[in-house]
Amino acid sequence: MVVEGEKIDQSKEWVELNIGPQHPSTHGVLRLRVKLDGETVKEVEPIIGYLHRNAEKLCEMDYYCDSLIYFDRMDYVGAMNMELGYLEAAEKVLGIPPPERAQWIRVIMAELNRIAAHLVWAGAFGLDLGMLTPFFYCFIEREKILRIFTAVSGSRQQTNYMSIGGVYQDIDDQIIYDIDQFTEEFPKKLEEIFNTFVKNDIFISRNKGVGILEPEVAIEYGVTGPMLRASGVEYDVRKAEPYLVYDKLNFDIPVSFKKDNLARFLVRFEEMRQSIRIIKQAIKKIPDGPYFNPKAKKSLMIRLRGEGEAYARTESSKGEFGVYIVADGSVKPYRVHVRSPAMRNLSVLPYLAKDVMIADLFSISGTTDLVFGEVDR
Amino acid sequence: MSVLERLAAFFAILGHYPAYILAYFFETLFMLIFVVIMLIVMIYLFRKYMARVQLRIGPNRVGKAGTLQLIADALKLVGKESILPSRRDDLPYKIAPIVVFLGLIMAFAIIPYGDFYYIGSLTITHSNVSLLLLFAALAIMPVGEVLAGVSSKNKYAVLGALRGVAKDISFEVPMMISVLALVMMASARTNQPLNMVNLISVQSIPYGIPQVIGLGVFFIAMIARAAYSPFDMSESDSELVSGHSIEYSGMRFGMFYMGMFGSIFLGSMIVSLLYLGAYNGPFSGDAGFVYLFIKAMILVILSFTIWLSVPRIRIDRFVNMGWKYLLPAAIINLVIAGILTLGLSL
Repeated sequence: MVVEGEKIDQSKEWVELNIGPQHPSTHGVLRLRVKLDGETVKEVEPIIGYLHRNAEKLCEMDYYCDSLIYFDRMDYVGAMNMELGYLEAAEKVLGIPPPERAQWIRVIMAELNRIAAHLVWAGAFGLDLGMLTPFFYCFIEREKILRIFTAVSGSRQQTNYMSIGGVYQDIDDQIIYDIDQFTEEFPKKLEEIFNTFVKNDIFISRNKGVGILEPEVAIEYGVTGPMLRASGVEYDVRKAEPYLVYDKLNFDIPVSFKKDNLARFLVRFEEMRQSIRIIKQAIKKIPDGPYFNPKAKKSLMIRLRGEGEAYARTESSKGEFGVYIVADGSVKPYRVHVRSPAMRNLSVLPYLAKDVMIADLFSISGTTDLVFGEVDR
Repeated sequence: MSVLERLAAFFAILGHYPAYILAYFFETLFMLIFVVIMLIVMIYLFRKYMARVQLRIGPNRVGKAGTLQLIADALKLVGKESILPSRRDDLPYKIAPIVVFLGLIMAFAIIPYGDFYYIGSLTITHSNVSLLLLFAALAIMPVGEVLAGVSSKNKYAVLGALRGVAKDISFEVPMMISVLALVMMASARTNQPLNMVNLISVQSIPYGIPQVIGLGVFFIAMIARAAYSPFDMSESDSELVSGHSIEYSGMRFGMFYMGMFGSIFLGSMIVSLLYLGAYNGPFSGDAGFVYLFIKAMILVILSFTIWLSVPRIRIDRFVNMGWKYLLPAAIINLVIAGILTLGLSL
C-alpha cells in the first residue's frame, strides 16, 4: 500500500508560508514549506539537510574507535544510545564482544539516556504548545542524569563513554549509589511533571484526536519507536531482537491504540517509567569482572581490523536505530550507513499534518520527536 | 477635593480655562509616570515570579536582586537599531505601536482611582459617560495590532492579525453584555448619570458577588484582551514567532511589549473596579487607591499564574468558546441581574 494523500489543487493560489529553518518550534533546523488556506494547512513539505555534517563519510576516513564521536553528535540528546548502536555493529565486524559487566553498564547508561532524551522531548513539546513551565521541570531532572554522565565519562552531553569492547571507565560504588538515588527520587518527580501536562484540560483538548497515525501507514513509512507503539503496533527492538542483556531484564513495552498525539505523549512517559524499572533491576544484577575486552586495549585500538559486514539495530529514544558497516580488512571501515529513526518519523509528517490548523501542525511535529543532528547526520 | 481641583487652584492666577487645561495636563503626566513605573515594576515582578515558578533565579545581575535589569533593558531597546522591513506600508507601520501605547494610556486616564489620604481623589476624567468612554478606549489597542500585522507585509504578521481580529470579536460581545448587567443593576438604584464613579458608589456589595458569572466572563475577556497564555494565539511565540509584532525591533517593539503588560495591569484594574468593590475597603475611605491597587495586584499575580501554567488554546476552539459558552453565560448573567434587580430589588 502506498500512502499518498490526494494532491491539492495547484492552479489555485495558496498562501505559501516558509517555516524555519530558524523558528522557535522546529526543534533545530527543520524547514517546512506550508501551503495554507486561511488557518488550515493544506500541504506540508519538510525540507532537511541544514545540519548535514557528512558523518557517514567521515566514518570511512577514521579508525573504528574514532568514529564514535560522530555518533555522539547525531542524536545529541541521546548520545549513549547512538554510541551503543554504532558499537553493536562495529563489535560484530571486529569480533570483539564486550564482557558481561560492560554490557550491564551499557544497559544502565542507555536507559538513563532514554529518560534524558524523553525529558528533553517533553519539555520541548510543552513549549510547542505554549507551556513555558514544564520545560524547566524536565531540564532540572535531566540535569541529574547529566551529572551521572559527567561522573562516568567527564562530559555532559557528548559523552563518548562506551568504547569498542567495553566502556571507557568502570563505574564505582559512588556512581552506583548516585544512580540508585536517582531511581528512587525520579518516579515521584516524573509524576509531578506528568501531572502538569495531563491535569490540564487545554493540553488534553489540544492533543486528543489530533494527528491520527494509522498503524498501516506508520509501517509503510518505516516509522518506529514510541510513534509506532502509540499507533498500536507492539514493536520494540529490545524485545523483538534483544541485544546486550535486555532478555534478562523484566520490562513491558507500552502500547497505545489511540494513535493520536496524546497517545504518543503517554507512551513516552510510560517508557520513562519502564526505563526506571530496567535501571533498578540492572543496578542489582550488575556482575563483577572486567569492563572491557582485553582484545581492545587502548594501545591496540587503532590497529583493530574488521572483515565482512554487519548490521545492528538498537532501540534509541526515537525508534529503531540501525548501523550498517562494511569492512574490507583495513583499519578503517569501508562504508558506514545509518538508519535514522527520526528521519523516518519526520517523513510521515506531510501525511499527519494534512488539513489541520497551524497550531496542530506544531503539536504534531512536536510529537514526532525530531533531533536534527540525527535526521541530517 | 481632588487632585485636579488642587492643581487648578494652583494655576488659578492664569484664569479658569488655562488653569484647568494645565491641571489636566499635569495630572495626565503624573498618571503617565505612574503607569510607566508600574509597567517596569510589573515586568520585574513577572520575571521574578516566573523564575520562582520555574525553579530558577531570574534576573540578579544588574542592581540589587536584578532591580535595575528593566532599566538596562529599556535603555538597550532605546539604543537598538530599528530595523524596518523594506516592503512595509510606511505610515501604518510606524504609527501602529504608538496607537497601541496611546490606547493603553487613554484607558488609564479614564478609570477612577479613588482617594489617597490628604491628596484627595486621583481620578482624572470626571465625565458622565466614563464607562462608555472606557470601553471605547479599550477598542483602540486591537486597531494598532491589526495595523501592525497588515503593514509589516509579513505572512506571520498577517496571520497574527487575522487571529487577533477573530479573537477580539469573539470575546468583546460577551464582555460588553456582562458589563450591561452591571449597568442594569446600578441604573435601578440611582437617577444620577451612570459614570464609573456612580456605578461604584451605588453598590451595596461588590458586583462580583451577585454576578459571579459576569465576573468570570469579564475576567476571561480581560485575559484575552491582554493576549497572554492561554489566549496568546495572535502572538503565539511557538507558532507565529511573535505574530503582529514580528517585524518590529527596538523601541517600537518595546511599545508592544509594554502594551501587553499594561493590558494585564489595566485589565486587573478594571476587573477590581467593576466587580471587586473598587476602592472600597474595610477601614478608612481615605485609602481608596491603596485598596484598588492591592486588589489589582492580586489579580495581576493571578494572571501571571494562569499565564505560566496553561498551554495555548487553539484559535478555532477559542472562537467556539466565545460564541458557544461565554456569550450564553453572559446572557444568563444578564437575566440573573434582571431578576436580582427588579424581582428582588437587591
